[in-house]
Order: sequence, then C-alpha cells, then structure tokens
Amino acid sequence: MTIADAEQTKGSPLLAIVVGIAGWLVPGLGHVFLRKWGKALAYFVAVSMLALVGLMSHGNVFSYGGDALDRLGFLADVGSGVYYFTSHILFPAGPDVSRAAGDYGTRLIATAGVLNLLCVLEGVHIALGNARERQAA
Amino acid sequence: MIFNHFQMMVIFALAVSIAFAFLSKHTMAERLRYCVWAFLAFLVVAIGIGWLMYPFSH
Repeated sequence: MTIADAEQTKGSPLLAIVVGIAGWLVPGLGHVFLRKWGKALAYFVAVSMLALVGLMSHGNVFSYGGDALDRLGFLADVGSGVYYFTSHILFPAGPDVSRAAGDYGTRLIATAGVLNLLCVLEGVHIALGNARERQAA
Repeated sequence: MIFNHFQMMVIFALAVSIAFAFLSKHTMAERLRYCVWAFLAFLVVAIGIGWLMYPFSH
C-alpha cells in the first residue's frame, strides 16, 4: 500500500456528483453538503466578490460560440454558476469594454469561474474520500 | 459602480488569497498566515511590475 492509498478512505461517488453540481451552481454549496462550513463560506465570499465586482464593472460575459478564445472565455465564465446564468438579470446594462474597468471586469468574472471550478474539484476530491482533506475544517 | 484600477487589484488579490489559503492549508493559523502573505505578495509584485513598466509609457 502506498502513501497515496493510505490517504484514501472509502468515498461516495453519488455524494461527489451532488457536491460537484451544487458547488458549481452556487459557490461553496458543495462544501455545505460536506459540512465544511469554513471552506463553504470562504469560497462563497471569494467567488461572489470577484463575480459581482466584475459584473458591476461591466465586464464581458462570454456566451458559447465565436472563436477559440471566446469559447475559452465561455468555459471560464460558466464556472461561476449562478452568477453566469443570472448576469443578464442582475446587471441588465450589459458589458462595456470600451473602458479599462470593463476589461478588468471581464478578467474578474473569468477568475471567479475558474476559482469556483477549482473549489468544486476540491469538494469532489473530499467526497471521493481524501482523508487528509476530510480532517481539515 | 465603477472601481478604480487599484481597488480592483486589491479585490482580486484578496479574493484569490482567501480561496488559495483555504484550498492549500489545513489549519486556521496556517490559512491566515498564507492569506496575508499571498495578498501582500500580489500587491507588491503588481505595483513592482507597474513601476518597471513606467519608463515604457513615455
């Protein structure tokens, strides 16, 4: 048995799927299912702060389509879950990248999405039985 | 609401530092130390690179 094997305990694939979907849709919600309250709050605050400031600054939210870079932008943006799907309702004025603030906002929205996907991956990892992560608050 | 560039950089640094601290450290003391360190590193590096680029703007 390797050290990596020893760190693994029996996890639940079903829980991992629920944690993955919940964490993607609402930042931090996946960790609530794992009773990781501190992490859930931290991820919710961090991702929300980036997404909301990005949207408030009239950052561009990419929709599917366009060239390869647009599609990469879409993949990054869609990672923020609820903020991606409600961006047009929350901020109906839409993007304005003619000013630098809008361009920075675009980056913040993309960062929020990628950061949330990272948090989702961690939640799935915990749900699948990573013993070391399970012990952390 | 429009933030200026420095405010947006601070918000970015803070949010990413918090998330990275919780992703990579396991105790609250470690997380706090890492968060402060990463936040300050983001600011120092960004301001440093900004000053390095300053001569090219003229």
